[in-house]
Amino acid sequence: MSQVLVVDDEPNILLSLEFLMQQAGFEVTTADDGESALERINAGLPDLLLLDISLPGISGFDVLERLRTAADTRHLPIIMLTAHGREVEREKGMALGANDYITKPFSTQALVEKVKALLAETDHGAP
Amino acid sequence: MAHRDRRLPKHQRLIGLWLLLSGVSLLGGAIFAAWLDAQLGVGGWERAALWLGSFSGGATILLVGLALERMLFTPLRHLQAQLARLVASPDARNEHSPEGWLTGLGPDLARVRESWRADRGRLAQARSEGARDAAQIRQRLEALLQVLQTPLLLCDRHRRLLLLNTAAETFFEGHTGLGLGKRIDALLPATSLQNALTQLPADGTPRELLLPCDERWLKVTLRRLPESDGESLVTFTDATHAWSTEMGVRAGLSAQLAELRRQSASVTSAAEVLKTLGASDAESSTLRARLENAIDEDGLALGHSIAHMGRLIDDMQRQGEQLTPIWSNDFWQALDERLDPSRRLITPIGMPAWFNGDAPALIALLDSLLQHLEAHLPAGGFEGAGFEGEMGLGNKRVYLDMIWHGGPLPEGELARWQRQPLTTLPHSPTAAEVLRQHASDIWSLADAGGKRARIRLPLPAAERVGAPRRAVPPRPEFHDFGIANLPSPDEARAGLALRSLEIVAFDTETTGLALRRGDTVVSLGACRIVNARALASETFAQYVDPERPIPAESTAIHGITDADVAGAPLLATALEHFRHYVGDAVLLAHNASFDMLAISQQGAEFAMPVLDTLLISRALDEALDGHDLDSLARRYDITFPPGTRHTALGDARVTAALWLALLPRLEARGVDTLETLLALQANAIDVEDASAL
Repeated sequence: MSQVLVVDDEPNILLSLEFLMQQAGFEVTTADDGESALERINAGLPDLLLLDISLPGISGFDVLERLRTAADTRHLPIIMLTAHGREVEREKGMALGANDYITKPFSTQALVEKVKALLAETDHGAP
Repeated sequence: MAHRDRRLPKHQRLIGLWLLLSGVSLLGGAIFAAWLDAQLGVGGWERAALWLGSFSGGATILLVGLALERMLFTPLRHLQAQLARLVASPDARNEHSPEGWLTGLGPDLARVRESWRADRGRLAQARSEGARDAAQIRQRLEALLQVLQTPLLLCDRHRRLLLLNTAAETFFEGHTGLGLGKRIDALLPATSLQNALTQLPADGTPRELLLPCDERWLKVTLRRLPESDGESLVTFTDATHAWSTEMGVRAGLSAQLAELRRQSASVTSAAEVLKTLGASDAESSTLRARLENAIDEDGLALGHSIAHMGRLIDDMQRQGEQLTPIWSNDFWQALDERLDPSRRLITPIGMPAWFNGDAPALIALLDSLLQHLEAHLPAGGFEGAGFEGEMGLGNKRVYLDMIWHGGPLPEGELARWQRQPLTTLPHSPTAAEVLRQHASDIWSLADAGGKRARIRLPLPAAERVGAPRRAVPPRPEFHDFGIANLPSPDEARAGLALRSLEIVAFDTETTGLALRRGDTVVSLGACRIVNARALASETFAQYVDPERPIPAESTAIHGITDADVAGAPLLATALEHFRHYVGDAVLLAHNASFDMLAISQQGAEFAMPVLDTLLISRALDEALDGHDLDSLARRYDITFPPGTRHTALGDARVTAALWLALLPRLEARGVDTLETLLALQANAIDVEDASAL
């Protein structure tokens, strides 16, 4: 079973995503800021990261950059989440190494499809 | 009653007087001879001598008078008549060439006549050509104005319309305020327009206004015509669409807000109801399903509304009014000038591009960023060798990249920097706010290879292409398109008319006169003559380092000191430049043998024909003294600005003016080709040599 780490500071979103991912058959862990997300990843590498940009403390972009510069997380599949939905943010996320990008509010079905597709691409396989 | 002069004409009276005097003298001589004959009673040859001697006075008067009349008075009268005819019309027939003792005036008189005739013809031709050119220019201008799609008006200083084009007529179709001579106030009765027109900068810098006109919003651009009598050019753009687009964004946002409220209320109320629902009986199950369905639908609609609002806000930011087109090279330069001199290190690379931005805000932003970069790049990350600025082109965006040798700036540092206020800007906005103003963000990346890193700032692309036009340099004082009609320099020059020769008049100033004993050039000046006109701006002036001290007595003449020539090129270099300047022209100098010797010392090859105004002047006026440059300048009334005589360029100009004064005299004597002139000059050299023997 693929493990997905969901990072968001919005408890409702975190709850929904956790529920949604579990429904889709993934093992889900959560973090509500950048620091704890990095700690979780250090403790055990997930198969995929759903990462919100606007986080208290270190931002999602910062987390993304740190993960991309570290050898063991360089290829970790990461989907960025943002509430702003500005073109330039999407571009920045992709430039810093995100694999995909989802704008809030999102269609749950679309999110699950993206996660599955990305895991398939990176050979982790569907749950 | 008209007074009637009964006296004879003057010259007839003179003739009468002469005949009377001759008659009286002859008669007196006869009476005297008769008296002497009676008194002395001589005979034979003595008597004949007595009679002849007595008649000699009268005979002399008669013969001298006859000679003066034939050789001087009659030719003078003819000349007077001829001149009178000439004054009246240069085309009058030439009845009498100067004769008798005035025969020598023939060529000069013929030259005066021909020059006048030619000048009159040229004047008439120039007038008709000028009129034709003016008509052509007017037609083209009118055609241009009429096909120009921008509506434009030209107002005088009293705001009266002097000109309007077809586009303006179409733009203000049916408006009674539009018409030549009417004031623009009748067309657009706005105080701001009247004020703007009176306060326009004289240098032509444009001012813009947004004015309502009937149902439209007009963007009005005003500029004062430079060097005009307060005339202003006014152009119009219909800004209604742009305005309504912006209004459309606002209206769209308002509409979306209402939708959001509705959807949010629906979701909230459904959620509230869901919480209060009791156990799962049949009725509540149905309701739960309906509520969940409603939440699903409204949640989805909420998502769409928010996405739509996001796009509207993006559009609005992209259309931000303060963003103006900027040419990247101008931007890099402005940024570099703004930086501390110790950090003036930006080198623009790659292809420049236009982008939209608030230039002062962006400069403050990057200034702050560069300071932050230097302070916060990872140890050893920034090697301090400066930055390169590169523009990348994207879809509707351009990317402003600052590149350096080293590693990228961590995102965390960049995020911290974005929260800093830019204190040099009004209201001290944060970097993040300036980025938001440009609908932008910023990030740092390592380049492939890892040796270099960049900061990337995406900016809205401007809809302009091509580099900005460079400021036009001031027009040269003199144009001559007739140059194109000159014969090819490759043609044999010998037969060329003197008028069509391209000539370089030059002069040298030297350390002394003993060129063969080491004196050399300190200054070289020249000017060009084309189509028998001296070109004012086509000059050559060069100090030369003589590699030896300039004697005080030479400095006293030309004023050139050792300090003047310090750092000047050596003669060989100066001559190389001069050779390029001369090109295919013929050389001209006053006392050319000296100047040619001066410029031939370094092996530079000047194989073209050389003309010498000194020799030409001597050949023309053998009988006259004073062929030095000053005497000739006085003789031909050549003026020159004070202080320019005895400078190389100044003397070259005087020599050129002298040549132009000598030219008509040469032509009057049939010396009108290079070949004949060189022959005349060679003859003058022979005469000079002969007299020197």
